[in-house]
Amino acid sequence: MQVSLKNYTLRYLSIAFLIIITIWAALFYAFILEEVYDNVDDGLKNQKILILREVYAHPKLLETNEYGINQFRITPVEDENDFSEENRLDNEFFYMPYDDEMEPYRVLRTGFYAPDQKPYHLEIRTSTVEEDDLILNLTTALIVLYLVLVLGVYLINELVLRRAWRPFNIILENLNLYRFGKKDDLTVLSTNILEFNQLDEEIHRMWRRNEEVFDDQKRFIENAAHELQTPLAITINKLEMLMEDESLSENQLTQLADSKSSMKRLVNLNKALLMLSRIENKQYKDINQISLNQLVEEISKDFYDFLLFQDITLHVEEHTAFETSMNKDLALVMLSNLFRNAIRYNVKGGRISINIDQNQLSVANSGSPISLDQEKIFNRFHKGTQDSQSNGLGLAIVKSIVDSYSQLSIHYRFEDNMHIFSIKK
Amino acid sequence: MKVLIVEDETDLCDVMKSFLEGEKYIVETADNYTSGLAKVANYDYDCILLDIMLPGGTGMELLAELRALGKDDSVIIISAKDSVEDKVEGLELGADDYLAKPFHLAELLARIKTVVRRKNHHGEQAIEFKDVKLFPEERKVLIGTDEVQLNRKEYDLFYYFMIRPEKLITKTSLAEAVWGDDADQSDNLDFIYSQIKNLRRKLKNHQAEVDFQAVYGIGYKLV
Repeated sequence: MQVSLKNYTLRYLSIAFLIIITIWAALFYAFILEEVYDNVDDGLKNQKILILREVYAHPKLLETNEYGINQFRITPVEDENDFSEENRLDNEFFYMPYDDEMEPYRVLRTGFYAPDQKPYHLEIRTSTVEEDDLILNLTTALIVLYLVLVLGVYLINELVLRRAWRPFNIILENLNLYRFGKKDDLTVLSTNILEFNQLDEEIHRMWRRNEEVFDDQKRFIENAAHELQTPLAITINKLEMLMEDESLSENQLTQLADSKSSMKRLVNLNKALLMLSRIENKQYKDINQISLNQLVEEISKDFYDFLLFQDITLHVEEHTAFETSMNKDLALVMLSNLFRNAIRYNVKGGRISINIDQNQLSVANSGSPISLDQEKIFNRFHKGTQDSQSNGLGLAIVKSIVDSYSQLSIHYRFEDNMHIFSIKK
Repeated sequence: MKVLIVEDETDLCDVMKSFLEGEKYIVETADNYTSGLAKVANYDYDCILLDIMLPGGTGMELLAELRALGKDDSVIIISAKDSVEDKVEGLELGADDYLAKPFHLAELLARIKTVVRRKNHHGEQAIEFKDVKLFPEERKVLIGTDEVQLNRKEYDLFYYFMIRPEKLITKTSLAEAVWGDDADQSDNLDFIYSQIKNLRRKLKNHQAEVDFQAVYGIGYKLV
C-alpha cells in the first residue's frame, strides 16, 4: 500500500510518541509517589516528636486511645515482644465520612516509654494521595497530551510540509507533462529549497542529454541513408549500362536483372528510412488546412488501373468533408500507403471501401480471414507472413505521420472479415 | 543535342555520360562549381544536369548565376537529398525538373526529353518510331493516322518505349515509372505484364509495324 510521505512520517511518529510517553509516565509516577511519601513521612516523624513532647508535659494525653481530631492514638503495650522504638510506615485505609468511603492513609507506628516507665504504642496517621485517582488523572492527562501531539504533528505536516513539498509536486507534474523535445509549456520551478532546485536541474540535464543522444541517432540514420544514395545510384546505373550489351547470354542478363531488383529494394528501404527520419525531424513544415476527400479522389485515380487489374471493387462513401491541418505531401503519403496496403493484401475480386465523415476516415479491405496483430502492425519492420517483398515500413510511416499531428490518431480493427484502418480526429 | 553534367561523383558522372552518348547526345562534364560555372557561362547547352552538393559551391548557386547571366538552358537538378524544400527551392530558382538519386537511366532520359521538348517550341513535337507517332503534349498516340486510345498507365509505359526504341527496358524500371517512388515489386511485375499485353493487343488491332519483344522475362524491347 502506498502512503504519502507526510502520513508516512506521522505513522512512525505516533508509535514513537506512544512509547516515549508510556515510559516517561511510568518514571514520572514513580518519582512523584516517592517524593509525596517522603514529604508525608517527614511530616509524620516531625509530628511524633511534637506529640512525645506534649505527652511528657501532659501525661493525660496517654489516654488518647482513639483517632479523633488529633489524628493519633496511644495504646499501652500488652505484649512486650510487640514493642519497638523503630518507626514503621504503612499505607492503610480508613473510613472518611466526607467521602463516605475508605481512603488511603499513611500511618507511622512506633513505641515509647511514657514518664511512668511503661511502654506505649504510638500511631499517627495522615491522609495521603489516592494512587488509583492519581493514575487515572495522570493517564487522562497523558492521553490528551498524546492526542494533541499527534494532531499537532499532523497539522504541521499538512501545512508546513504541503508548502515545502509544493516544488516537488511541480516537478512531478512537469515530468508527467513532458513530451520529447517539448519543454515550453512546463511550469518553471522557483523555490529556495536547495534539494528541489538540484533535482529540477538534474532532471533538465537528463532530458537534454537524452534529447541530444536521440537527435544524434536520428541524424546518423538520415546521414547514413543520404550517403547510401550516391553509391546506390552508381551501382544501379552501371548495371543498367551493362544490360544494354546485346551480346549477353540469358543467364547473365537474368542475373543482372536480379541484382538490379535487389538494389531497387535497398533503394526503397533507404527512401522509407529517410522519410521516417524526416517526419520525426519535423521537416515537413508547410501546414495547410486540407480536405482528405479530395486526396482520396486523386489517389483513387492513380490506383484505378491496379484496382482494375486485381478486379477489386472500390466503394467510397463520403458523408461530409474530413478536414484537418497538416502537410499535404505527408497526407498524400499517408493515404497512398493505406491504399497500397489495402490493394496489396487484398484478394482477387475483393473489395475496398472508404468511409469518410467529419471526424473519421476509414479504409477497409477484404483479405486474409484472420485479424492482424493490433499491437505490432504499426511497428517498424513488422511483416505479415505472406509477403517477402514488403519492407515492413509502410504502416510505420503512416503511424509516424499520424503521431506527428497531435489531433490525429490511427486505429485498426477486424470486423465482418474486413481489415479496417481508421484515422480519427 | 548538347548536355552538361555537373556532378562531383566521377563514377556517376561517367555512367551518365556513356549512357547519354549512347543516346547520341554530346556530353560535357564538370566536377566542381568553378569549372561548371565557366562552362555554363561560355557555352550554350540544351540541358544541364546539376548536382546540388558541389565542391566550391552549390548547384542552387550555380543555377542562380546561370539565370543571372540571362541564359535559359534547361536545367534538371539531380540530388541525393530527396527533400521537398530542395525541390521547391530549385524549381523556384528556375530549374525545369528535379530528379532524386538514385534514378533509372531510362527515367533520366525521359526527363531530359521532356524538358528539352518544352523549351523547343519550334520543329516536330512528335516522337516517331516506324509508323507510330507519340505527341507528349497531348498524350496522344497515332498509328499511321489512326489514334490509339490508351489509359494513363498504358500511355506512361508506352512513352518509355518510344523514347528508347529497340532498347531493353527492364520491368523494374517500368514498375517505377508507373507506380512511383516506393514501387514494391512482386505485385507490380504481374501488372506490367498485363499492361504490356493490353498495349500489344491495341497495337495489333491498328496493324502497327511495331511490337513488343519480351527479353528473357526480365524486360521488353519495342521493335
